Amino acid sequence: MKRPIEIAAAGTMLTALVTGLVVPPDAVQGDVQRIMYVHVPSAWLAYLAFGVTLIASLAHLRTRDLRWDRRAGASAEIGVVFTGLALATGMLWGKPVWGVWWTWDARLVLTAAMFFVYLAYLALRRTTDDPVIRGKRSAVFGIVAALQIPVVHFSVVWWRSLHQPPTILRPGEPQIDPPLLFALLMAVAAFTVLYVALLRRRVELAGAEDALLTTVRIEEPVAGSAVVGPQPRGEGA
Amino acid sequence: MTLWRQAALLLGFQLRDELRTGEVIAVVIPFGSIALLVIPMAVGIETTLLARIGPGMYWAVVLLFGVVVTQRSTASSTPSHRDALVLLGVDPAARFAATAAASALLLLLFEIGVGLVMIVLYDPVVVGWGWLALVLPLVAIGLAMLGTIAGSVTDGGGALAPLLVAPLAIPILLGAAQATEGLRLGAGILRWILVLALVDVVLALAGVLTARLLEESSR
Amino acid sequence: MPEDPIVAVEGIAVRRPGALILREVSLELRSGEAVGLFGANGSGKTTLLRVLATLTRPSSGGGTVLGASLGTDAVERVRPRIALVAHDPALVANLTLGENLRLLALLAGRGVDDATRSLEAVGLSGASGRRAAVCSNGMRRRAEFARVMLAAPDLLLLDEAHVGLDPAAGDLVAHIVESVTGRGGGVVIVSHERERVGGLIDRSLTLADGRITEVGR
Repeated sequence: MKRPIEIAAAGTMLTALVTGLVVPPDAVQGDVQRIMYVHVPSAWLAYLAFGVTLIASLAHLRTRDLRWDRRAGASAEIGVVFTGLALATGMLWGKPVWGVWWTWDARLVLTAAMFFVYLAYLALRRTTDDPVIRGKRSAVFGIVAALQIPVVHFSVVWWRSLHQPPTILRPGEPQIDPPLLFALLMAVAAFTVLYVALLRRRVELAGAEDALLTTVRIEEPVAGSAVVGPQPRGEGA
Repeated sequence: MTLWRQAALLLGFQLRDELRTGEVIAVVIPFGSIALLVIPMAVGIETTLLARIGPGMYWAVVLLFGVVVTQRSTASSTPSHRDALVLLGVDPAARFAATAAASALLLLLFEIGVGLVMIVLYDPVVVGWGWLALVLPLVAIGLAMLGTIAGSVTDGGGALAPLLVAPLAIPILLGAAQATEGLRLGAGILRWILVLALVDVVLALAGVLTARLLEESSR
Repeated sequence: MPEDPIVAVEGIAVRRPGALILREVSLELRSGEAVGLFGANGSGKTTLLRVLATLTRPSSGGGTVLGASLGTDAVERVRPRIALVAHDPALVANLTLGENLRLLALLAGRGVDDATRSLEAVGLSGASGRRAAVCSNGMRRRAEFARVMLAAPDLLLLDEAHVGLDPAAGDLVAHIVESVTGRGGGVVIVSHERERVGGLIDRSLTLADGRITEVGR
């Protein structure tokens, strides 16, 4: 089950890479525009991954099944990586095209906010060794965050709509040539398959981590028994 | 006993505890004031610049240092005390409400204290005192609830709580800063008041609904 | 009149990362009975006490405490009838002893007078205006017993309750234990000093490595 999806991920990624390199460059931006084939799918994966985290958190609270918690955590981890990638490629793209690394576009601000929210979520998951406690705390925070993110979104959009940025700084969606569109869709598909493959691996690894943490090796003493307490009299013999 | 009566009792004693400990008045308000004192040293001391950036800097300080108010030592109780309250049948939602209400009142105190320092040091144009009387409590309540939730998921805060709070508090910062900016420019600020109110409602729901889950998760 | 048995649990196990704190503990506590629970540090005594207090959910096994099944919402109804005296006093450091007791009394639906009376009963009426933070260990322990008197529990759980107590306070513990058992309630006393609680208990259990290894008297 696992191998085919990983082979498929590698295959589609390779195809997407080749497609992205062979399609003609953008008429205006030239080769720089090829960053789009990494940037756009990364941003898409970020949203997909955080959506999965929310659904898995809800499922965990409903079922108390730790597998859902591991899925939530694994998906958030992948989401943070790809949010970071989307931000980084956005900056690399922005500098040559617009002359700035960063602009206060609502979408950018929101993406940066989500990056920090889920970075905090991952840090929260590391604050306890007990998977049951970790599951509850992170699910609660994951849901509070998911409730609050739409409010963040609207407030940021309203904020920016009051101070329109120069329009040249807005990433251009207007007419995209069919070959370029094809390359972009290829890349989105490839990243999605990659996400599924990474998620499966990470969930499996998280399961192994939890098992290692919680399995009691019978031959080893239980916690605390290494401490020798005052022995009650009359015991033994 | 109703949830509200429990919450009111806990709130009363928590405030008494805090007033005796004095952490917010003696530590956090001075700390926030120092931030307002050093910012001009970093950005320059032209009076027009300071008057212009004063309110914005004030709200940034309220957001970042206000988290410290919500993580003060009296906001979390010892495990034994928590157990005793659980055994008395105190509703977790009542505990959430009491802690958040105490934090909100202390944050309001913090906002007023630091606000006076900002007015003295930056001399901004302050208009619309009536609206500010609405904005300050709305900000305090939202930040208090966010901080209380962060405090309980991290079981007592630590360095992580501010990171949990700050990005989710963006609407509070924007709402407050844009409302004050709108007042200065004479523009409508109803939209930002609504954003602040919406944040408070969303967080109140989230806090009350998750309080029981968190109580279980603290062992 | 409390249920009989007060506690009936079977096959209790509590798992924590990398450790099985309790393995297979079964325990029955009958009405009017006081049981001593002994064992070395780390043997699982405190965890077992917390399971009986309904504060820790067992990983497996179950049973009833005051008639309520562990792990169900029914435990919430019986919680006010349980008192737990833990290692650390359940006091807010910057409130006075009087304020601490008043808060608990009011939350329990009692009056302020009850709080005053319970402090008198443990010999602390003179110290009611002192902040808990500046009280001696012994005084804080006594205040804990005032809390127990206020709760008038049907199930009393004492975790190392004799630590830091002078002989007079020891008599106070005896009095409280007798008043609970006299009403038909049950008491579990955790200790590692068998001789100090010997006179209070009807029977003793010894925990080692998360199991009950010895049943005495």
